[in-house]
Amino acid sequence: MAAPAAAVPAAAESSTDTAATVQLASQWRLIWWRFRKHKLALVSGVVVILVYLVAAFAEFLAPFSTDRMISNLAYAPPQRLRLIEQTDTGTRYGLYVYGYTAEVDMLSLQRTFGVDESQRIDLRLLAKSEPYKLWGLIPLQRHLIGPVDQSAPFYPLGADRLGRDLFSRIIYGTRISMTVGLVGVTLSLVLGVLLGGVSGYFGGTVDLLIQRVMEILRSMPTIPLWMGLAAAIPDFWSPVLVYFMITIILSVIGWTWLAQAVRGKFFSLKTEDFVIAAKLDGCSELQVILSHMVPSFMSHIIATLTLAIPQMIIAETALSFLGIGLRPPVVSWGVLLKEAQNVRVLVTSPWLFLPGAAVIVAVLAFNFLGDGIRDAADPYK
Amino acid sequence: MASSPPTATRPLLELEQLKMHFPITRGLLHRVVGHVKAVDGVDLTVHSGETLALVGESGCGKTTLGRCVVRIYQPTGGAIRYRDEDGSFADLTVLQGASLRPYRRAVRMIFQDPYASLNPRKTVLQIVGESLRRHDNIGGVELEQRVAELLRRVGLRPEYIRRYPHAFSGGERQRIGVARALALHPRLVIADEAVSALDVSVQAQILNLLQELQAEFDLTYLFVAHDLSVVDYISDRVAVMYVGKLVEVGSRARVFAMPKHPYTEALLSAVPKPDPRLRSAGARVRLSGDVADPANPPTGCYFHPRCRYAQDRCAVEAPPLRELGDGHRVACHFAEELELAGVAGA
Amino acid sequence: MPGGGGRDLLLEIKGLKTHFFTDEGVVKAVDGADFPIARGKTVCVVGESGCGKSVTARSILQIVDRPGRIVEGRILLHRESEEVVDLAAMAPTGKAIRAIRGKEIAMIFQEPMSSLSPVHTIGNQIVEMIRLHLPMTTEQARDRAAELLERVGIPQAGRRLDSYVFQLSGGMRQRAMIAMALSCRPNLLIADEPTTALDVTTEATILDLIKELQRDLNMTVMFITHDLGVVAEIADDVVVMYLGKVAETAAVDPIFHDPKHPYTRALHQSIPKFGDTQRGALEAIRGMVPHPFARPDGCTFHPRCESFMPGECDRVAPPAVVMESGTTVRCLLYGGSDGSGAVRDDAGGHAGTAGGEAGARAPGKGASGPRAADQGAAG
Repeated sequence: MAAPAAAVPAAAESSTDTAATVQLASQWRLIWWRFRKHKLALVSGVVVILVYLVAAFAEFLAPFSTDRMISNLAYAPPQRLRLIEQTDTGTRYGLYVYGYTAEVDMLSLQRTFGVDESQRIDLRLLAKSEPYKLWGLIPLQRHLIGPVDQSAPFYPLGADRLGRDLFSRIIYGTRISMTVGLVGVTLSLVLGVLLGGVSGYFGGTVDLLIQRVMEILRSMPTIPLWMGLAAAIPDFWSPVLVYFMITIILSVIGWTWLAQAVRGKFFSLKTEDFVIAAKLDGCSELQVILSHMVPSFMSHIIATLTLAIPQMIIAETALSFLGIGLRPPVVSWGVLLKEAQNVRVLVTSPWLFLPGAAVIVAVLAFNFLGDGIRDAADPYK
Repeated sequence: MASSPPTATRPLLELEQLKMHFPITRGLLHRVVGHVKAVDGVDLTVHSGETLALVGESGCGKTTLGRCVVRIYQPTGGAIRYRDEDGSFADLTVLQGASLRPYRRAVRMIFQDPYASLNPRKTVLQIVGESLRRHDNIGGVELEQRVAELLRRVGLRPEYIRRYPHAFSGGERQRIGVARALALHPRLVIADEAVSALDVSVQAQILNLLQELQAEFDLTYLFVAHDLSVVDYISDRVAVMYVGKLVEVGSRARVFAMPKHPYTEALLSAVPKPDPRLRSAGARVRLSGDVADPANPPTGCYFHPRCRYAQDRCAVEAPPLRELGDGHRVACHFAEELELAGVAGA
Repeated sequence: MPGGGGRDLLLEIKGLKTHFFTDEGVVKAVDGADFPIARGKTVCVVGESGCGKSVTARSILQIVDRPGRIVEGRILLHRESEEVVDLAAMAPTGKAIRAIRGKEIAMIFQEPMSSLSPVHTIGNQIVEMIRLHLPMTTEQARDRAAELLERVGIPQAGRRLDSYVFQLSGGMRQRAMIAMALSCRPNLLIADEPTTALDVTTEATILDLIKELQRDLNMTVMFITHDLGVVAEIADDVVVMYLGKVAETAAVDPIFHDPKHPYTRALHQSIPKFGDTQRGALEAIRGMVPHPFARPDGCTFHPRCESFMPGECDRVAPPAVVMESGTTVRCLLYGGSDGSGAVRDDAGGHAGTAGGEAGARAPGKGASGPRAADQGAAG
């Protein structure tokens, strides 16, 4: 009975060579494989990357700066980009737009714009116009697209009430809207994981205490708090700094949702056999937490984080729209939308709602991405 | 007949009045309103080199007892005396932290669920090598060699060392679990339902492996199981538990052939015998009702509400676990009088 | 198969193939299963996990989970009225199969919570079930429900009607589920590992109950299990499955005392015999069940088989061979490889040609094997 030679012959032949790659795959590889099957999430991932690229290269992508204005072209409608020109001499190719004709209604003093086919405004890629410093470091002068003549009107998405280019402003707004809440979200994340982890791992009195604190924080209404904070912060601060401070303060309140999730995870993982086995293997408490427990829900945290960013975008938009978030001259999607607050705009200049489209695209992309990650996060289910 | 259990050998582990009471808490402030007496005063000796099977229905406390011995739980009472190689005894219940570490090497555990017990995010090398890294500070090539050797010993290809658990079947996973338990050359292995999640053919492979390893490494097994045919096959001695207490302890041959406790008789009788010709043979004992609630056990003998031999005395007086001779201990007032049916041929 | 002739048949499974179309590939969970279920008998389908026994049962009721579906084969239900319907041809969500589910064929599961709702009382669930299929008033149905609970041995049945599932213990839940399955007096009760999660003591009482009900109600039971001990306790006939195919079909006694297929024999040798004085090493089946995407050619058991014949077993899919004892076995040891199949009776020869021609597809075709034999025996 003790003959080791008889030790279960060829017991381990479950694997075939074709499946070898699957069997060697780590958790992250499996997650990626599952995520790849979510076409919508994959596309959303690409969109999210594009949006952040836009934010990163705003100066280059925007034809103009945010405050370049042509006052007699206020509320000018979007121009159509044209490629082919039929002239008497034949067909010409090239990027151009037509200028505007303006008629002023003497009764209502309203300006009506038309297309002036006689005025051809040539565009070019990498057009030279206002100089800028990319990321405040690299001095550049070229923009992705722009009119050859710097002072010519070019409004691919129309103009706002001061004759500023909406397209450029949406691009600059992307930068603020997509980043201003990130610090808050990160802070929430750190607090949530830390306090949730402590609460879930140690349990007992510590857990009891943290739980009660969380309940109190959760019962606080955020909008009135936000309004109060907006009023309390010194007005000599820049609007971005003010907003930044508010998001940080709010994150001190908003970590509870994540803490709750992390606590639950810790509670269930604590009694998992593999965690107990790690303890029996001689791991210290910290080693058990860092090496066995945290990796088990890292993917979930990433998913939760992805789903928290759209909330942050929406919050910025909503609060700025209400006038208690960011304020001009800062350019963000919410600030831009505030301009589209009245009925007149709705009727005469519907393009001013385009920042709303940007919000919808970004939020949907993040949500789909988050859903995809969440579904792929546990490849062992 | 297999060699009789080595009762003459020295004890490796002695449990004395071991208690594990879990508090039941209620309300916002976690007020303690009662206790689940999962293990309630167990006296048990595990001899060196033997396989002691701990059996009983689910909820009888056998798994909790095993977990107390490896100190997953801190027992709430009693002593777990472990005999060191130099012959001195150490009480594991009072040890904490660093002083417990030597015993974490010597007393190891094989888990029931081959899926939940392996971290899906670690490779086989990391899983099996964890204890070697933590205890002996082994790493790099040496660790790989040690783990590869262990894998070979449990019947897995050493090339699989970098694979993740999802690449293995249930039986292979259980082999990984066995390799992990053996990595530090333990003396006592607690096998908690180690084969009950496996298919019959794979179960046989693992049972054979466990027996080979026992002979090769001079292991002592505390085998927690509910499948009595497996217990019959692998164990030298059997301890039957009911609601946190031992009701019968003895050599496998004696307990199975001549059970002295009505609960043991019922357990044995309930096992389906793999022979249709035995269907009508022998009187059947069927237990009615459910295992008593360990938070609120009945008075007297905990088994009396389900016992078909119960008398007035049983409802009042709790029977002590007493010696009947030859290491056979029973907790029943009427152990001598009752004629209980065992398993033929055992 | 004993008692398998003509009108004694309740259900015939012929060449059943249920495949799962996953992203990684096709899992042939059931891949050409054939066996009859005789009326009024208890048939045990036994095999290791992954052998397709549960999927076969679910195929009968057309409740295979996506992405699985029946791709081939017939499941013939013989009604008392001599009418024969093919369940496999019915739409999984159609009216026809829904009228059969729960009424003519009922199913119980390993986990009672999968068929009992946690938010309704047991009484309400049974009443609803009865009224769905039978023309009864709520009061009549409620009386019936109380009777049923009493019938399955639930104490204080009248009061238990108003209990929720979580208020019952494991064994009682199993009983409640059985009561619900019996509510419309099904002809066939499919039990999918109903005792696997239970303690032996509870298992024994549930097995007793099923045996008793089977006898009293003259019900047919298809009992799925991996435990040969349970098979020995309750089966009349046994179907041994391996990797989606039927290895052997026989009455219970020959399965234990004269097993033909090497897999059946190996299964038998690998379980510890209770009360056996021999305590040598168990004869484990070598290797393990192959990966579902990589099924071996020829006889699917050949890589683990003791009697493996190189050049034959790994090439030819064994056809069904009917032995004189009534056992149907798919193993080349008993003929079927190329010309040698003709040695046996006409059924073996017939199936043998199918095996020779069609190679891997043979099991599907070989379906005619047992039937031809039955007719031969009758004639």
